Amino acid sequence: MLSERIKKALALLKLEKVEGGDYGKTGYHVEAAADPGQMPEVAKAMLAEGCFLESLTAVDYPAHFTLVYHFASYEELCRTVVHAKLDKRLMATSITAVYPAANWYEREVYDLFGIKFAGHPDLRRILLPLEADFHPLRKDFGATASNA
Amino acid sequence: MHEPGQEEKTYVLNFGPQHPSTHGVLRVELQMEGEFITKAAPDIGYGHRGHEHMAENRNYQQFLPNMGRVDYLHALAYNQGYCMAVEKLTGLEVPERAEFIRVITAELNRIASHLLWVGAYLLDLGAFTPFLYCFDDRENILDLLDRVTGSRLTYCYYRFGGVPKDIDDEFMAGCRAFITRLRGRFKDYDDLVTKNIIFIKRTRDIGVISKEQCVRYGLTGPMVRGSGIPYDIRKSEPYSVYPRFDFEIPIGERGDIMDRYLVRIREMAQSLRIIEQALDKLPDGPIMAEKVPKRIKPAAGEVYQAVETARGEFGCYIVSEGDIKPYRIKLRVPSFGNLSILPEIAVDTLVADLVAILGSIDVVVPEIDR
Repeated sequence: MLSERIKKALALLKLEKVEGGDYGKTGYHVEAAADPGQMPEVAKAMLAEGCFLESLTAVDYPAHFTLVYHFASYEELCRTVVHAKLDKRLMATSITAVYPAANWYEREVYDLFGIKFAGHPDLRRILLPLEADFHPLRKDFGATASNA
Repeated sequence: MHEPGQEEKTYVLNFGPQHPSTHGVLRVELQMEGEFITKAAPDIGYGHRGHEHMAENRNYQQFLPNMGRVDYLHALAYNQGYCMAVEKLTGLEVPERAEFIRVITAELNRIASHLLWVGAYLLDLGAFTPFLYCFDDRENILDLLDRVTGSRLTYCYYRFGGVPKDIDDEFMAGCRAFITRLRGRFKDYDDLVTKNIIFIKRTRDIGVISKEQCVRYGLTGPMVRGSGIPYDIRKSEPYSVYPRFDFEIPIGERGDIMDRYLVRIREMAQSLRIIEQALDKLPDGPIMAEKVPKRIKPAAGEVYQAVETARGEFGCYIVSEGDIKPYRIKLRVPSFGNLSILPEIAVDTLVADLVAILGSIDVVVPEIDR
């Protein structure tokens, strides 16, 4: 079972949390929580298990950002989610060196949330104009009449 | 590339944003050495409408029409992905008949998307006639879907808990007539396109993608299947009533453009099989769940629901904080990941081949830009 192998591989990294998920309810087979700085190691472990990066995004909470990484596999049905809480004053760590797919996803997160990724080769805005001075998915970018 | 003694010159070529073969507003900045590309940098976002931001400022129902406008060519798959995610979050059960209707209409929509791709793609390569054939066939689907959904494009047909309008006998008869018609047309497409020597020369062994690249770039849809990986969410992560139908996942061997083309052509035949079985087995019963709350207010939590669109995996990630508005919705769109491999596979190809490669990715730019 791929989910067992992933749990074993992630357990070696001493993450904050690695446990089985409730697939019927959330769509996850493995749920993990990590420090943003551990993400390159996590990505390497996931790549070694043959998983691909399905999506990378963030959520803006009042006290912190949470980076959300989804991994899946072509071989076997197994979705892994990794949540990484990020202090709003700190930088995240890029996993582009492991997964080139992360290049654009991280640019998107930077563009929409203003989260910077250390070690990213080309951290520019991707969807919004380069000269934009706001990050629209931050909760303090409010819904006014014009953008609601 | 250079005559001895000739001065080496690189120049920058803007491919797009207003170019017919970019299928939308997409710009690729090319660094050229003669006719060869040394660097290709896609520039996206021209059509960014902020769907994800809109989601946070609307309640769950109000966001539904947006789902017809992300990937306008396979809008029903987006309808389905979003509805299923919300249904999972709230525990709504969809009646069997509604699931069958969803499958029939989503598969029709998939064929329409593939037909448009075949036509428009061959137009990119300089073949005009197939375009007319494909649009002729596609028109039949648009008429059928217009009948039940009320629109020809940008469908908003599924609801949380089912579908709002039942299909009738005329629709079913129309579907069966279309199945017969399209099956008869595959031979024409083969004769016209697949065996065409110009087409073969433009697509064989061009734009090859390895399995290893698929994993690193997280490709999905015909892009991975062309490279020989049988990954299709309908089989790999079965949803709705797909497990009840007998169909195959066509795959390629070499991972070149030709294989991706063949995968899409064969997929249409498989979609016809699904529709035919669904029409045969269509159960009676309600088309909406009995108790659908007027205000959708899921408990706090998160959900990820994937569905297979014509271009690959659409993943709908919803975070709920127990409010009537979603706290965050992330749309994981297939074209975004699929296009991100372009800089790698475009290097050292000719400009003419770039058109062929870009087209073979089957990008829908509004989907990438969201």
